[in-house]
Amino acid sequence: MKKSHIIAILMIAVAIGAIISMVSDAATYADFSMAEKMEGKEMQVVGQLNKEKEIAYNPDEDINSFSFFMVDNNGNERKVVFNGTKPQDFERSEQVVVTGTVKEGQFVADKILMKCPSKYNDGQAGELTEITAESNS
Amino acid sequence: MIEYVGENLLAGQVGEFLIALSFVTSLLASVFYFKASDLSTKLDSWKKLARVFFHLHSAALLGLIGILFYLIYSHSFEYYYVWRHSSSALPMQYIFSCFWEGQEGSTMLWAFWNVVLGNILIYTTKKWEGSVMMVFASVQAFLGAMLLGIFPFDIQIGSNPFTLLREHADMINLPFTANPNYLEFVEGNGLNPLLQNYWMVIHPPTVFFGFATTLIPFAFAISALWKKEFHAWIKPALPWSYFGIAILGLGVLMGGAWAYEALSFGGFWAWDPVENSSLVPWLILVAAAHLMLINRQKMRSMFSTFALTLFTFLLVIYSTYLTKSGVLGETSVHSFADGLPGQLIIFLVFYLVLALVLLFKNGFHFLKRSEEDAFWSREFWIFLGSLVLVISAFQITLSTSIPVINLIFDSQMAPPADPIAHYNSWQLPLAVLICLFIGVSQFLKYKKTEPKKFFKQILPSVAVSILFTALFIYLLQIDELFLNLLLFASLFTVFSNLDYFVRMLNGSVKKGGSALAHIGFGMVMLGSLLSAGNQEIISKNRSQININFEDSGDANNENVMLIKGDTVLMDPYYVTYNERKIEDKFVYYHMDYLKVNENGQYVKQFSLSPYIQLNQQMGNVPEPSTKHFWDQDIFTHITFADLENLDSMSQEQYREADTLKLQIGDSLFTSNSIIQLTNFERNIDKESLNLKEDDIALGVNISAKTLEGQNYQATPIMVIRGNRVFSIEDEIEELGIRFSFSGIDPDVEKLTILIEEKNKNAGDFVIMQAIVFPYINVLWIGIIIMTLGTLVAVWNRFRLKTNS
Repeated sequence: MKKSHIIAILMIAVAIGAIISMVSDAATYADFSMAEKMEGKEMQVVGQLNKEKEIAYNPDEDINSFSFFMVDNNGNERKVVFNGTKPQDFERSEQVVVTGTVKEGQFVADKILMKCPSKYNDGQAGELTEITAESNS
Repeated sequence: MIEYVGENLLAGQVGEFLIALSFVTSLLASVFYFKASDLSTKLDSWKKLARVFFHLHSAALLGLIGILFYLIYSHSFEYYYVWRHSSSALPMQYIFSCFWEGQEGSTMLWAFWNVVLGNILIYTTKKWEGSVMMVFASVQAFLGAMLLGIFPFDIQIGSNPFTLLREHADMINLPFTANPNYLEFVEGNGLNPLLQNYWMVIHPPTVFFGFATTLIPFAFAISALWKKEFHAWIKPALPWSYFGIAILGLGVLMGGAWAYEALSFGGFWAWDPVENSSLVPWLILVAAAHLMLINRQKMRSMFSTFALTLFTFLLVIYSTYLTKSGVLGETSVHSFADGLPGQLIIFLVFYLVLALVLLFKNGFHFLKRSEEDAFWSREFWIFLGSLVLVISAFQITLSTSIPVINLIFDSQMAPPADPIAHYNSWQLPLAVLICLFIGVSQFLKYKKTEPKKFFKQILPSVAVSILFTALFIYLLQIDELFLNLLLFASLFTVFSNLDYFVRMLNGSVKKGGSALAHIGFGMVMLGSLLSAGNQEIISKNRSQININFEDSGDANNENVMLIKGDTVLMDPYYVTYNERKIEDKFVYYHMDYLKVNENGQYVKQFSLSPYIQLNQQMGNVPEPSTKHFWDQDIFTHITFADLENLDSMSQEQYREADTLKLQIGDSLFTSNSIIQLTNFERNIDKESLNLKEDDIALGVNISAKTLEGQNYQATPIMVIRGNRVFSIEDEIEELGIRFSFSGIDPDVEKLTILIEEKNKNAGDFVIMQAIVFPYINVLWIGIIIMTLGTLVAVWNRFRLKTNS
């Protein structure tokens, strides 16, 4: 077997490996009810902040505890808990993307991505902010 | 018909004319260059004509850019682009950032660099001029079409930067469009606060310059396949490829520097889709350029050389598609949303089909007659290195393209939840291989090397690298396997190239460009792994008042709350939040970093002022502040601050008083101290207080002790004049507390004391994070050495070319 054949086979193997790792590391877009069925699996939910309900953040008590209510794109509402500081300007967000898992009926987010409206822009090209909680796992 | 007041319509009309002119002239130049593409140096009439049109195109484009700059400079908000991306309050240096914030401006920036390079190529490419410039001019036509803003058959082609605000689709029928004096009150939307940074003035033009240079080897490769001149193209294309490596590499890493300086994610590389899509063309360009080196020696791996060279530019277009089409949507922090996806896809597919057809029609035969390189030859290891770069680029592209894959296959994948872990799991091992191959191949000769001689030569580098690896592992206690391997591999790259530079090249900088560039690359790898792989978050939550004792197992403790005046341990420092200052639209939080000396005193080492840029329209942006030492950086940023009551708090007013009935000896807590009523004070100097002789005055001594153990004293006084009672208040300024002694109940000896506290004592706090990045300077110095080394190599090649 020639060297070039060995290299070619290796390249193909590595390329397949890259595809498998992409698929397995990718999170899944879902709504809350789907995330509940797949309890414990990493899910990404897109929705909106419910501004009527409590957005709880009391740094006096715990700076790393933040919770809010979010309505996903299919209309399911759940409480989202985030072990981190409250993102600056969170109330202004018009779209929220949370990545995390369902634990004991709550959605525990380890990443929040929010999209803020640009005042004059009908929310077309919003600015995005990404906040990540670095969970000590 | 409304007569609008104050509009400068002429500039826009000229601009629109120039857009049309630059588009048509680039098309014509392309057609005429096609006619003159026969690989001869003869200056026939087609070529003359083509040159004239390319020059015309250049002039039109420069005029176009000049007009847009002028409109931004003169705050001509009647134009949508100017209104959308700038405001009159913006400092002048950022008009550049305004210019290329939008899709149209960045397209013009790209086209500008193509014009600069094109005009150099016209006079330097000799027989290649016709075919190379045909490709250049055609790319300019595609870019020009992005600016047209016309709607044939209701299909939008391009987006015109000179569209008037009142005629823009988003504004139609808004009330102001009927007001002839609307310009009197219209104010620009302003620039995204994240882009108001000097790196954003120089990073985009550098990246686009790099993008533009990738077109040169692409144009040569297309010409070579088209004209079946398979070998001669490498000589002129090679130096340009390395020039592209230097510029694009610098531009990509400048983006990292911007992220480190201005963004708060804590680090310079986060595998963000936009970062990735500019890195991938660089990786492939590096692979292609190294294969060209092999080819200069003998015809080897020709198919790969062509394929990689062609893909470099195709990946640049793909990168533009990813960032500008809006396909990344919610996956990236800084993607444009107002792009023209369809047009970008046509742009990409056109050149993809052209490249593939030529490659398989005229280049396929190279695959069949390949003879093997010797194992102990430089070309074999360079080839392996290039393959590793291709794998690296493939993996990054694949995972970055998840939104595109969703679009094609209608799948529901979201990007990896932890992108850094995902990409590092691939890229770390690949980086180890690259570094090892670089080190090894420098000591191998082309064709064949005697293994014994090779081992003898490489031994010192290996030994020194092992020594330093052990030292670093001991000092920094790195315990991850791949970080240790990369530590060795990057040190090996540095030392083997240093050894080669000193022993083989006698330290000649002229010849040593490539060795220096590789040393720089090794340092970039070394600096990244030492700083990012070994960063330490010192803002750990250790000793907090009101700490939540509930067991929250997975709570992160990488943020610390600081109340104004607090001092908190962030090993090895103590950090005091000193003061908040509001200047213009910036809120600065001054932090003092202290250390305890041998006498137990706190000594200030340095101050940092992370800040928040207030921006009503686009959201407030926290920006970090970093203290640079030669061996480490201390990075500090605000993760949360209460900005809602900024105005009232900034005046530091006293809040409503608490009225308390207290006895001598009582003590109580305020927000920042413990106070105690110690005793009555009867010796009162009436004269200095402007009291009358027969006034009765009684004071009460109040001591205040802070949590840090400092003592303060106050003595409020009650005065009885006839049948009137009034009080003279006393204040402890340092603590922001004011006391009044307003009455006494003689029966039970209870005193009426009013305590007022300043707002800041309760409300002024921040939550911050502090990270130590060790040896990050190795990274920055590495970038400079890599860029300069590559440029030296390029210069040396140009010099050799002109001498021969």
